[in-house]
Amino acid sequence: MVKVDPVVGKYIHLTVQGIEYRVFYEESGQGIPMICMHSGGGDGMEWRALLNDPEIISKYHLIAPNLPYHGKSLPPESVEWWKQEYRLTRNFFIEFNLALSQALGLERPVYIGCYVGGHMALDLALEYPDDFRAVIAVGVAQRRGPATLDTFYHPSVSNHYRMVNGMYFSAPTNPQEYRREVSWCSMQCAAPTTKGDLYYYFVDHDLSGKTQLIDTMSCAVYMLTGDYDPTTTVEASLELAAQIKGSKFTEMKGMSHAGMAENPPVFKKYLMPILNEIAEKSKSN
Amino acid sequence: MGVCFIEPKNAGSLRDELNADPELKIAARYMTKDVCIEAGSTKCIVKFRDGVVTQIKSENAFADPWDFAIRGSVDSWEKFLQRIPPRFYDGILGGMIRGNFRLEGDTIGAFTHFWAVTRMLDIFREQQNK
Repeated sequence: MVKVDPVVGKYIHLTVQGIEYRVFYEESGQGIPMICMHSGGGDGMEWRALLNDPEIISKYHLIAPNLPYHGKSLPPESVEWWKQEYRLTRNFFIEFNLALSQALGLERPVYIGCYVGGHMALDLALEYPDDFRAVIAVGVAQRRGPATLDTFYHPSVSNHYRMVNGMYFSAPTNPQEYRREVSWCSMQCAAPTTKGDLYYYFVDHDLSGKTQLIDTMSCAVYMLTGDYDPTTTVEASLELAAQIKGSKFTEMKGMSHAGMAENPPVFKKYLMPILNEIAEKSKSN
Repeated sequence: MGVCFIEPKNAGSLRDELNADPELKIAARYMTKDVCIEAGSTKCIVKFRDGVVTQIKSENAFADPWDFAIRGSVDSWEKFLQRIPPRFYDGILGGMIRGNFRLEGDTIGAFTHFWAVTRMLDIFREQQNK
């Protein structure tokens, strides 16, 4: 018997900051809409396990886009992108998510994101709490601080660097096949894109002095961080959670930087109570 | 507990293990570098020539040149070499971010061959726990 995934891939044309982008996304399931945003230097394939999980897609309509310049979302035709350095900015990222939600007619979707995508969760909760019923931020901190990004896009540094980033930002306790898959996914992203994504991650995302403005009564905030993650420590996430009244933080044991991909069954164990809680709240609203 | 790659008596067998590893054969292709690994006050130099480890030198290596060095305390390496290392000692990159290891010298060269470097260290971990 032929095995076919319930996942469907589509293209949608979105105009963000005056530029039209042809955006690829995958979707599956039915029920509460949930945008699943990939990490920096990644793409929607990181979410394949969730998109195929019968329990999750029986309650949730998952949408996993590729940001422009990632995966099958090519650079825009109307821009001479080769004459400028790619940079993911906070404003673009916010507007992209709003445009996607609006174009697909999503009704106050849940937003879940990992790392670069995870940091966006809190920016959305801060700026657009009425547009999202809940956000789930995987591996987040208040701000990142300085970092050297040049090694991500340097003519003398091979793709092996991004491969190792993927492999060793997954916990050693996790199955080899998943760790290698994370590594493979990391290698797919164009070098300038990986570097440009990290501009948002390290520079443009900064919740300093704003955390107390996040209204979790309007938009519920959940946070998940792996204990093995060297880039966002559990301690950093706990510090952030303590500043956001009403937010809920869970430490993921034996997980690192790419939870949903490095060990999907364990990630699901931590995610399901959150999804069930959101579903219950959605029934009563 | 000790650090296997520093012991001169292990040099020959570790070299053979590295050269026999199918993943390292692919990862180290085109690699010609001398990699210094320092544990506290001791060190060894792993010499790669066109992807083949020609020597692991841990005796009288004090004056030998190297391209890049990975430095950590004996305690850091002992944690790194555990079968399941504790957090922030499981990978050299994460360990550097958390300040448990340092990379010095030709860092761009190190990142270019980072797959080979990390696979080499994983093989050391496997040998440490045999």
